[in-house]
Amino acid sequence: MIASETVERGIAGAIGVGLRASHLAAFIADRPAIGWLEVHAENYMGGGAAPAQLDRIRRDYPLSLHGVGLSLGSAEGIDEAHLLRLKGLVERYQPCRVSEHLSWSIAGGTYLNDLLPLPYTEESLAIVARHVARVQEVLGRKLLVENPSSYLRFRHSTIAEPDFLAELVRRTGCGLLCDVNNIHVSATNLGFDASHYLDALPPTAVGEIHLAGHAAVMRADVALLIDDHGSAVPPPVWALYCSALRRFGAVATLVEWDKNLPGLPVLLAEARKAERAALATLGDHVAAS
Amino acid sequence: MLPLRDVQAAFRRALLAEDETALAAFVDGGAARIDVHRNNLFASLGEVLRDGFPAVCRLVDERFFAYAAHEFIRHHPPARAVLAEYGGSFADFLADFPPCRHLPYLADVARLEWLMCVAATAADAAPLSVAALADFAPEATPLLRFTLHPALGLLGSAFPIDRIWRANRHGAPLDDAPIDLAAGGVRLEVHRAGSEVVMRALDPPGFAFRQTLRQGGTLEAAATAALAEDRAFDLTGALGALFREGAVIGVTGTPANCEAPS
Repeated sequence: MIASETVERGIAGAIGVGLRASHLAAFIADRPAIGWLEVHAENYMGGGAAPAQLDRIRRDYPLSLHGVGLSLGSAEGIDEAHLLRLKGLVERYQPCRVSEHLSWSIAGGTYLNDLLPLPYTEESLAIVARHVARVQEVLGRKLLVENPSSYLRFRHSTIAEPDFLAELVRRTGCGLLCDVNNIHVSATNLGFDASHYLDALPPTAVGEIHLAGHAAVMRADVALLIDDHGSAVPPPVWALYCSALRRFGAVATLVEWDKNLPGLPVLLAEARKAERAALATLGDHVAAS
Repeated sequence: MLPLRDVQAAFRRALLAEDETALAAFVDGGAARIDVHRNNLFASLGEVLRDGFPAVCRLVDERFFAYAAHEFIRHHPPARAVLAEYGGSFADFLADFPPCRHLPYLADVARLEWLMCVAATAADAAPLSVAALADFAPEATPLLRFTLHPALGLLGSAFPIDRIWRANRHGAPLDDAPIDLAAGGVRLEVHRAGSEVVMRALDPPGFAFRQTLRQGGTLEAAATAALAEDRAFDLTGALGALFREGAVIGVTGTPANCEAPS
């Protein structure tokens, strides 16, 4: 059990990477040292080769299930059938963490396949809190809710996003997944201060941190950062990561890479970089994961 | 107060119907920012379709495929979040898509690729052995109905779509021998063997037998359909093969030793 020994060893065990289909075979064959792995839950909800390979991988690594399809913010309610499929995965893989997003994807019975933004109002807070409570009730465990990457702001929002998340934690007992790349992307796109955002999150609620790269684009004369997970983690996101560690402690950290996915050695090198950043910030005295 | 339901309906309309008037009134920043979400939606679902239908993509070229996929996504967006299950109606869409009329076999190639997608990710199910038949009264055997494995798919086409698919799958040589569209149709079965998706051609009686069972027909109806194709059809052999190949996951009929109703 290489992985669980690694967890015992401290910071190194707290660093994981997102497991993508093209790396499955390499993880099974070579069992590279990494603290834990995270998958998108929806990719394993069918049968066939992929879920069987994940059974194999689960024997060697702690696994986190990261959902993208529950649509916690849908006004029309959450899809109970989808929630039951997620419950099936939780029972099968016994994940170390289960997470979802502060966003919505379903309207009028259509799945829009993007993590769409919510207006932050008392109404949306009540809806999301109801859905998070329902998910936690069905799964019988705590859900971590991830802050989204934002490109626009609703004029009728009345609550700041970190305050919205803090209140969600207070009402439901859920945890938070703090994606520092998303904070940087949103802060740049909407013009707020990323460190103030970090300071407004309830520190003990943060159970996981995400790191990723983004792309800078021009769209009709508007400069935007796009959260595309398509490159190495850039310097401002590393800086925000170190601030987050100082505030939240040695929290389990994931390096995500989706677009332009490199070979596994490049991804693992990025994870080692996160490990060095955590060691430099905290010293190797706290075990996590 | 602006209800969340209305905001989400406006967002949906902005992304799919490309009508941003309602949403633009609710948000700061305007069209360029809404565009980010529209791009995310169409690019990610377009990729799902390209991955699922590589031979169709190669037959029509990437640019036309992107256009067809965009139209399909607009008018037939997914209903659920499991994207491996998205694309089942793409073949029917292509069959009715006017710009594709000059490729009469295209929709059937898409149907074949969809069966391969289904075979790869359909739910796991434990196959029954032929011994399961002993649970049923022998005199009721003709009325048995079988549930076939969800990964198993059957497809008949008036075109040699297996050869078209082989010549157009990823990595196939571009200068393959020409395919004569008038060479005749095929009857294909797609299934999962271990972790592999496998395709094979069936003979007309074998196809009629399995197709009738798949559609919920009785064993008697399946045998009749097969015998209509070939009077020498070997029912016992075909039934044994069906179980041996792990294709049967359920049998319904009158149980053995069942008390007759009084």
